[in-house]
Amino acid sequence: MYIRKERIDRGVKARTEDLFALASGWDLLYLLAPRLLPILVLLLLTVTVGPYWQKVLISTAVFALLAISWDFLVAAGMVSLGQALFFGMGAYLTGILNHYFHWPIWLTIPVSTVLGGALCTFILLPVLRLRGIYFSMITLVLPLMLVRIIEATKIFGGTEGISGLASYPGRWLELYLGLAAAWAALFAFRRLLNADYGLILKGISDNDRSVMSAGINIYWYKAQALFLAGSVGAFAGAFMTHSYMFVGMPVFALDYSILPIAAAVVGGMGTMAGPLLGAFILVPLSEVLRGLGGLRIVIYALSLTVFIVALPEGLFHYIQRKYQQFERKVKVDYE
Amino acid sequence: MLLQVKHLMVFYENALALNDFSLEVQAGEIVAVIGSNSAGKTTLMNTISGLIQDIQIKEKRKGGERLTILGEVWLNREDISSARPEQRVQKGIVLCRERHPIFPESDVLENLHIAGYLRRRQEVRETVDFVFGLFPNLAGHKNQKAGFLSGGEQQMLTIGMALVVRPVLLLLDEPLLGLSPAMQTKLLAAIKTIRRETGVTILISEQFARPILPMIDRGYVIENGMLTMSGNSKELMENPEVVSAYFGV
Repeated sequence: MYIRKERIDRGVKARTEDLFALASGWDLLYLLAPRLLPILVLLLLTVTVGPYWQKVLISTAVFALLAISWDFLVAAGMVSLGQALFFGMGAYLTGILNHYFHWPIWLTIPVSTVLGGALCTFILLPVLRLRGIYFSMITLVLPLMLVRIIEATKIFGGTEGISGLASYPGRWLELYLGLAAAWAALFAFRRLLNADYGLILKGISDNDRSVMSAGINIYWYKAQALFLAGSVGAFAGAFMTHSYMFVGMPVFALDYSILPIAAAVVGGMGTMAGPLLGAFILVPLSEVLRGLGGLRIVIYALSLTVFIVALPEGLFHYIQRKYQQFERKVKVDYE
Repeated sequence: MLLQVKHLMVFYENALALNDFSLEVQAGEIVAVIGSNSAGKTTLMNTISGLIQDIQIKEKRKGGERLTILGEVWLNREDISSARPEQRVQKGIVLCRERHPIFPESDVLENLHIAGYLRRRQEVRETVDFVFGLFPNLAGHKNQKAGFLSGGEQQMLTIGMALVVRPVLLLLDEPLLGLSPAMQTKLLAAIKTIRRETGVTILISEQFARPILPMIDRGYVIENGMLTMSGNSKELMENPEVVSAYFGV
């Protein structure tokens, strides 16, 4: 006699296409709670914490956006090591539009979002044919190159950057805009990946030749994915620039490339929600550790390692599984 | 008794892939496990070779399917149920996985050298010569990238790579998959030669019963993870159920 643990799906998962078969209010709650609860908790947090932690929340939302955009690119088979490229592109565009052309904030952000995404896609077009490490290397190098160009040619304020940019009409608007953007990106990308369009992108990542065999131009779809992810990254940059009222060379810093990846790995890749969760753990953690001086990086790195070794699937996958399935012991008839 | 598999039971999460499966292989025999798709042949081969432990660990780590493995595998009266895959290879169990998993970016000779890395140079040289004698097609392409070989040639290379490790018990998982009847005949002749020349014991899993049954010593029929029949070559070929299920008449 041997006892084995059996995993069983909770009933509500039964569905056809987009229709859920809901039997009761509990079923409805089962579906809504994981989507609404984080939002409610967050809203509660925004009104209870002070201005300093509100700023932290804003920068968390920015990193969450970058992490979601990274995760989306990975789903389409492109491992970017240069989210800073998207971020910096959006940041500089909005700075230029605001400083030199005196465009108002409600115009600079949307324009630099779209234009930033388009520019990044255009720059990366030649690399789309490269797979794996080659794409990653180019994305890693490009932001570092752009910094040096700005430094050498002294354009857009050179090493000084551009300061005195327009700020938001109020700090509440700023805070809620950032959080709303993160959640909008989360739900939109999750929806997109679950649709047939998302399946094509996942297919390209899994086996691009099979996707080609279906008569699909994979480079066109990769370019689209790049544009979407680039736009989200550019939005994060534009949003942050108006928050700081300054744009300078640090926007191309490695932090904006590495931290989103760490967030995605801690939270769980491929879910969009995982990277968001990861950002909401790592960014505040990094702030809490700020008082420790040099030890900060050590503890930060250690906790990151522990996370990845102990839970390589990522926190979100783990929570999701525990939520969607329960376990029971069954006997195996075995001599 | 070279190999004894006792009451194997393997669950992929809640699905039962092997159900109380037992088999025995004597030294020097060619034994076949015949079964259709999803009967549990590959799971059986992976369990004997220990590869299933690796699958189990990887799945557990990424939070995927949980594998439950019960039962025992004995080699030469030694219980190797908990031995790791590489330890089992050292004891002489070498698995030739299905769908010819070669190293596509390396050439034929390099593939064989990778497989024989832990063997002495002289041994490897001898076996490589033997493999090239066995499969003249491979010898003609020895400096060609393995990824550009035909399916049949890749299958030959996979068997060659297993031979370079110098197995005592060679496990062949669906060696005839995707091969033309003419190529199947060639390959089976080569398998017979391998037994004759090296004395290695061979356990084949296969769904093509018609070409396999005449050349084996004994066979087992597996369905839905369960043992349904066993016997020697003649008994199985004359069994009406085997004939109707696998000979298509």
